[in-house]
Amino acid sequence: MGGKMQHGRMSVNADLNVVPMVDMMTMLVIFLLMQFSATGEILYMQKDIKLPDAQHGQTIETAPVVAISASQIIVSGQKVAEVAEVERGEDFSIAGLEERLRDEKKRWDFIHQNDPDREKNWKGDVNIQADQKVPFRILKRVMYTAGQAGYFNVNFATLDQSNVAALAKSD
Amino acid sequence: MAGGGAPVPEGGGRGGKKKRPLDAVINVVPAIDLLACTISFLLFTAVWTQISRLQVQTGGAGGPASVDEKRQIQVTVTLGERGMTLTTSAGASTEIPALGKSPEGQPVQDLKALAQKLKQVKSEYPDQASVTVAAEDGILYVDLVRVIDTAVGAGLPAVSVTAAG
Repeated sequence: MGGKMQHGRMSVNADLNVVPMVDMMTMLVIFLLMQFSATGEILYMQKDIKLPDAQHGQTIETAPVVAISASQIIVSGQKVAEVAEVERGEDFSIAGLEERLRDEKKRWDFIHQNDPDREKNWKGDVNIQADQKVPFRILKRVMYTAGQAGYFNVNFATLDQSNVAALAKSD
Repeated sequence: MAGGGAPVPEGGGRGGKKKRPLDAVINVVPAIDLLACTISFLLFTAVWTQISRLQVQTGGAGGPASVDEKRQIQVTVTLGERGMTLTTSAGASTEIPALGKSPEGQPVQDLKALAQKLKQVKSEYPDQASVTVAAEDGILYVDLVRVIDTAVGAGLPAVSVTAAG
């Protein structure tokens, strides 16, 4: 290099303005923290189960989950009966389901064996996660079986639409 | 971020000609690392579908143990293929016919009318909290849930579910 082309050397280092990126990341963290929910640990969405919407649901609590799809009945991830067999069967109670729920109750009793108010603290909650198109004739057998196993408080799992309802009201 | 700022004379020395900038460079790289890790964790553990529950009792046990007969009545919503029937132990019976059939052949229930009737019952009996939903065998879970949701929305949260007939 020489002659007219010779200039002062330009610095190779360039400062990046990272402030907007930090702002954006902070906003994202705040949004995700507000969105954070632990209910997914109790109920997992399944491909073959489409839940109905509800606007007045309560927060879901830990309890045994009975999932009813179009083809099978599952308790805590374990298949206990086929829906077609339940429909064909004459017995109102579902044997596999009752056995599994009794096991769950035994486990609860074992965990709370040192609790003097064990009987009082037993709420008998069971979560039913059924597909939208499951008919009541299946549902009533599941509810009856749950009652036989000592679970009288049935919680129907629904997709929470309370935020949507609140927005509609404010409009 | 770096450089710039008002130069100030260095105190003391011979003449004090040398100038030093006041601005300090904050190293934001650890903050960005922390934020990136937090975002990754929150994205992996995020639950996008909020699940709620509608609590019901089985076998018509939804009412309170001690019922004051003057202040509370037995309210039953019978859910069937043709529509709904709202009956009360006070002797009232109201038919709420279905609006039609869905493409799958299922009845479309008139939930707005049901909500109105239940609110009317609630205004007549403000202490009333229980309602029994009696469903026919062919009723789908989605319709049952909507009726329960309507009842809870009308101020009757103690819902019990039983089979009709």
